[in-house]
Amino acid sequence: MRLSNIRTIFEKEVRDQVRDKRTLFMVFVLPVLLYPILGLCMLQFTTAFEQKPRLVVMVGAEFLPKTPRLLDDRGKAFLPALFDTPSESARLGVETQPATSEWSHKEFRGAALRDGRADAIVIVPGDVAGRLEKESQSATIPIEYFSTKEQSQVTYLRVREVLARWKEQIVQERLERANKPASFVAPVASQATDVASAVEAGAGLWARLFPFLLVIMALTGAFYPSIDLCAGEKERGTMETLLISPASRAEIVLGKFLTVMLASMLTALFNIVSMAVTGFFLVARAGLGDGAERAVASVMAPPTVAAATWMVLLLIPVAMFFSAVCVALAVLAKSMKEGQYYMTPLYLVSLPLIFLTLMPGIELNLFYSMVPISGVSLLLRSLILGEYDKARQFSLFVLVPTVLYALVALRWAIDQFEREDVLFRESERFDLGLWVRHLIRDREPTPTGGEALFCFAVMISLSWFISLAIGGSGNPLIEMVAGHLGFILLPPVLMALLLTSSPRRTLRLNMPSVGYLVLAALLAPALNPLVRELGAVIDHLFPLPEARRELIQKMTGEIPNLAVGILVFALIPSITEEFAFRGFILSGLRKGQRLRSALFFSAFLFGFMHVLLSVYQQLFPATILGVVLGLLAVRSDSILPGIVFHFINNSLAVVTPALTSSTGGLGRFLFRDATNGLYNPIIVVLSAGVSIVLLGLLFRGLRSRAVE
Amino acid sequence: MILVEQLSKQFLDYRRGWVPAVSEVSFRCEPGQIFGLLGPNGAGKTTTLRMLSTVLEPTSGRAWVAGHDVVTEAAEVRANIGFMSANTGIYDRMSAWELVEFFGKLYGMTPELLRERMETVFDWLQMNDFRDVLGSKMSTGMRQKVSIARTIIHDPPVLIFDEPTSGLDVLVARVVLRKIVELRAAGKTIIFSTHSMHEVEKLCDRMAIIHKGRLQAEGVPDELLAAHGHDDLEELFFALVEKAEAEAEASHGGAADH
Repeated sequence: MRLSNIRTIFEKEVRDQVRDKRTLFMVFVLPVLLYPILGLCMLQFTTAFEQKPRLVVMVGAEFLPKTPRLLDDRGKAFLPALFDTPSESARLGVETQPATSEWSHKEFRGAALRDGRADAIVIVPGDVAGRLEKESQSATIPIEYFSTKEQSQVTYLRVREVLARWKEQIVQERLERANKPASFVAPVASQATDVASAVEAGAGLWARLFPFLLVIMALTGAFYPSIDLCAGEKERGTMETLLISPASRAEIVLGKFLTVMLASMLTALFNIVSMAVTGFFLVARAGLGDGAERAVASVMAPPTVAAATWMVLLLIPVAMFFSAVCVALAVLAKSMKEGQYYMTPLYLVSLPLIFLTLMPGIELNLFYSMVPISGVSLLLRSLILGEYDKARQFSLFVLVPTVLYALVALRWAIDQFEREDVLFRESERFDLGLWVRHLIRDREPTPTGGEALFCFAVMISLSWFISLAIGGSGNPLIEMVAGHLGFILLPPVLMALLLTSSPRRTLRLNMPSVGYLVLAALLAPALNPLVRELGAVIDHLFPLPEARRELIQKMTGEIPNLAVGILVFALIPSITEEFAFRGFILSGLRKGQRLRSALFFSAFLFGFMHVLLSVYQQLFPATILGVVLGLLAVRSDSILPGIVFHFINNSLAVVTPALTSSTGGLGRFLFRDATNGLYNPIIVVLSAGVSIVLLGLLFRGLRSRAVE
Repeated sequence: MILVEQLSKQFLDYRRGWVPAVSEVSFRCEPGQIFGLLGPNGAGKTTTLRMLSTVLEPTSGRAWVAGHDVVTEAAEVRANIGFMSANTGIYDRMSAWELVEFFGKLYGMTPELLRERMETVFDWLQMNDFRDVLGSKMSTGMRQKVSIARTIIHDPPVLIFDEPTSGLDVLVARVVLRKIVELRAAGKTIIFSTHSMHEVEKLCDRMAIIHKGRLQAEGVPDELLAAHGHDDLEELFFALVEKAEAEAEASHGGAADH
């Protein structure tokens, strides 16, 4: 790869984008105009909303007692003293109606509430004054409102508050008459103090809003340039010229990717800057204005310097991720129009992941940190809130996957650029029947990468439906076996039979050399102590919720004896999961990809399935073991050594509780921490040594097969 | 020079499965000669030339361009060819000068060499009066000149023209053809595809007639006419096309027809 070519392409593309009116508008003009207009509109909307008067009709106002007073002198409003500020009382109008009027009819009142002639109706009973005078009696004052209308609902709540204050005054009078102190009816009073400073209160709002805006803007900023740079180039007929130049595909993609990334970052930055400037002005204005303007200003208040710095820093991985994904998708498109079709699903997938930051109660944890987009958004929220400890704990788990996802997307984009059918695609009328016939007629010995991913998707969605169908059958063990056979074994086997011409090669149903079987049988127990140590570390960092722990204990409690345990937790999973992941999926991913990326990707899918079907803490052990299992399958060209390894590994987990509970010599010899199944240090060191040797053998490949 | 041996390419089609676009094509082109590839639309001309320019990989067979294998030494091949077709686009938001400079840089030319070469090329093609005009504002004639300039900026020994005159008005087509003749005089190896018999007659030193992905005849135009007993290229062409149709009919029962 030559940097000079990447730079030449980058410079050319940037110049090209700067000369494009649409890009300029999206990146520079729109944010500068948008936020001041938005701020102004918000102000106007809030003011307009607040000033809409609410009308309370009071039927039978003539029955109200002389003291304490509820209405003002003119009888057109509640007594201002019953509100915090006089302006609030002005917003709640009162219209009095005699008890003899048509308002005394229930139907008439209902109709009046429905068509807005009243927002709430207070019905004063005729005996209210008399009842209030006697200490032994109380009066009920009905309030009618129409809950479907927000205006009516709000009015009802306000009236209820007013009546509550009026009630307090009545209580005061009664206490005075009975010579009792005020504390007689109020033995306990609560006093609330908000410790959040003005900056912190602002940060709370920013923390929710900003990650959301930043991510949306980074996506939008990457979106249009990537379509223009990739699909547009095909549409204008310049792509072929570029491909025939000496620049390699990777250089072309990287040059374009960097341009898109720049656009994405600039769009996000300009939006933030423009929003912050608007915020400054609004805050300045709020100093002079009334409550409504102050409310808007507190939302739009600019972020602190620290928060702004984090935003800019975290923008880099976010922009990198979106740019890579957008470029990869845009390459697939023949025309700009088709490109926009591809981008809609991207928005649909991204939006819920970003909305997560707006939801209350969602906190950064290991699982969220590894979800693309959500992880970065939540990390950003933590940083803006000043939760540095939490951010430090998760920052690696957020940043490393995000960069990895971006690299995978970039790799994918480069792969797309190397595919003739993507670059020179003729538009062909799509016909489902023809396509299915083509899949079966033109099938190849092993599946394609797309078919492997499709198989994974089928497994996951089937698991959803099967667990819904058989869930709650009572016996979790039967459910587990049914699940393994139904959604882990069935899809890959059926797809191998239908979509490949050599199911045997796809599922690696070959007899391996004895050497690999021995290697697998030795490697599983050798790695076991290390797997346990890893498990302990993960459990320490990311403890299982108590409810989950109980669920697992309940499940293990269902195992009647060791043989059944081994069958359900070791034998069946080792067969089904190997068929799926080391059989169909790995064979598919290997096609057209380098061995290393296929191995890691299949292992990641293996880990990811454990996250979806079990607990996210299983991601690490499952992924690491997935790499070892994948290497076993590829080197031996057989599924059998993997099954042996998998079976022994799972069996050890089933057998360990029985081993550790024996207080005899063996348990004490093997384990230093029996409850967690942690082995003695000597055994751990020994197992590490043996594992390294065995893994080394596996990595190089045993001699008998290495000849091939 | 260009050497093509038994080159074949198949494409996957949902309707028909693997369809041969080019089958066992062999020919050679020498420096200082124009080799014409004559055939109707869909004959396999563009696919053949795309394989020579390394953007498509052959299904079988081999080809060498400027001494390099198109599959194993694709990068070297790309550095030694110039490729142009009538529908090669130019960038709308780049001026003539910027576009040619961009490709010159990608070919790894030093700034001094590039500048000198650009002045020569712009003079040769009489492009100096629209150096700074953006692609979107250019006439068809200007665009074709920019395309030629882009094709030859790095002075490649081999030039590939895929129907360079199709869809152009006669005046622009004449300029393009003249420049191709001048490039032959400079000793370039030139391969040139067209469906115009007139252009082949006028320009080509050697020619091949391609139809349904197969070469129907190959050689010096006059010798071909003599060998097949025709006195006119057009008659030869139609005779060969009809013969190929008849053969295809006999072997596939017309199944491969579009």
